[in-house]
Amino acid sequence: MIELKSLTCRYDDKPILQDVNIKIMDHLSILGANGSGKSTLAKAICNLIDFEGEIEIESKNIKELSLLDKAKNISYIPAKLEVYDIYITVEEFVLLGRFPYKKSFFEYSIKDKKIVERTLEFLKIAHLRDHTVSSLSSGEQQLTLIAQALTQQSKIIIFDEPTANLDPHNSKIIAEHIKGLKDYHQIILITHDLNLASYIKSPVVFIKEAKAKLYEDGFFNNSTLEELYGVKFESLAVKYE
Amino acid sequence: MNHWQLNMSKFIIWTLLFAVLIFSPFTGAVSLHVEDIFNQNHLSSTIFFDLRVPRVLFAFFAGIILSLSGLLFQTLFRNALMTPYTLGISSGAVLGAGIAIKLGLGSLLFGIAAISVFGFLGAMLTVFLLIYLSQFLRNSQQESLLLLGIALSLFYTSCLMIIFYLGDTMQNDMLIRFTMGSLSVIGWQNPIALGVIAFLLLITIYMYRFELQLLSISDESASLKGVNTKKITLLLLMVSSFGIGTLVSISGPIGFVGLIVPHIVSKIYPSTLNRRIIKTALFGGLFLVLCDTITRGLQTQSELPIGIVTALIGGPFFIYLIISRSKR
Repeated sequence: MIELKSLTCRYDDKPILQDVNIKIMDHLSILGANGSGKSTLAKAICNLIDFEGEIEIESKNIKELSLLDKAKNISYIPAKLEVYDIYITVEEFVLLGRFPYKKSFFEYSIKDKKIVERTLEFLKIAHLRDHTVSSLSSGEQQLTLIAQALTQQSKIIIFDEPTANLDPHNSKIIAEHIKGLKDYHQIILITHDLNLASYIKSPVVFIKEAKAKLYEDGFFNNSTLEELYGVKFESLAVKYE
Repeated sequence: MNHWQLNMSKFIIWTLLFAVLIFSPFTGAVSLHVEDIFNQNHLSSTIFFDLRVPRVLFAFFAGIILSLSGLLFQTLFRNALMTPYTLGISSGAVLGAGIAIKLGLGSLLFGIAAISVFGFLGAMLTVFLLIYLSQFLRNSQQESLLLLGIALSLFYTSCLMIIFYLGDTMQNDMLIRFTMGSLSVIGWQNPIALGVIAFLLLITIYMYRFELQLLSISDESASLKGVNTKKITLLLLMVSSFGIGTLVSISGPIGFVGLIVPHIVSKIYPSTLNRRIIKTALFGGLFLVLCDTITRGLQTQSELPIGIVTALIGGPFFIYLIISRSKR
């Protein structure tokens, strides 16, 4: 459970989010226009940026959690995989997810490596094990990022626009994985992809003008969407099902 | 190149470098014979054990510090052009030394040469200044940090020009010698001190290799995995700058080694960062011994300063790196 109590985030003194109060019991999708503060909300939940108010994870104040405990509770998957170390392989990259469980100064254990192997097989990318991540396609990179987050074995997984750089085919693969993960993790999905959000079927928080509004259901009908986005909707284009 | 050829060329490179390390003490203005070296009353013995061997070791440890610091800075700032030299830390040391020379502090300060103390302070002050100024940059503006370093370098150079302008011929001559970088040391004190620091730097970087691997992706991703990014970054920068400050205060600036060596090692061993740390250190040490041996082998009137040699190789290499980066 994540609880946001009068959360306010500012960027150069301008409020991006103002007085947000939400109790996130389970899965959640966060939608909103560009620059509306979706990623800001995610970064606040990860305690990566300054904020006013309180954020509680499983009734514990996020600011009081140690960095390692936080890492064991939350993992965050960015939209894009970027590395300076262009020679790091998929296996080595995914192993980094085990960092919070590793003994300081020592190598990763055999158990860590087994967890990585299982995860790669689960996501059907075991054959990419020894490829460098910089040589992968966008779809494969997204799967690699998901693999890293899964080996982190956190309760909460935050997806930040997982399909933003993907074609419809790869978007579908990712969408199916996210849906499958709902049984084991609390999924927080930030996206512009309305098809994806409607397929995942989580309650929606829509952010507009620094305010967040929760829609338990009834978000995905044309009149609501038209009102929020200010454009005409016929029906959603791609069907994942 | 196939697998066999690749291994063979690696073998040849390392064999040649180690051969240079062994033969290096025998090259120089005076040629030495093996039988004389072990004759304690012979001048050759003094030259060999009090000048040549300490110098080779000094070059070796200097190479380790320079290349490891290069690798560290490049990884922490995620930019192949970041080294203590390009960020102006070496220039800070030169200015510090310049001030000491101008003030006529030729003698000792706390038992250490005043030039070294001031050089060291110049390097450390520059690091603090960079760390302080980088707070005002956004996370993604790594290039701006490089520009800051270049701006600092230019500023220091102007200050140095003033010192030149005000200095007398003897002071200026000393200062010019210092800015050229030199590896000639007498006795064992400096090589031992530098060896300890090189070892310390290697151990620290190796201990934090996994944190460094995460930091090479982004501060954010490292923090999300539980790394105390500010603490680790500061610690690593301090240890490395301590090494650079000490080195430059003794030898003067030796540029571009930190830029070239990590790049060459990554081409020979295209593997992830933490598999390259020890190789980079070793290669860097041997590389500088090679450069130094070349300068001593050239039969010029007086010895060519090492800083000039590395800069002559490094300048074009820097341009190559910039162009190959923008192609990508």
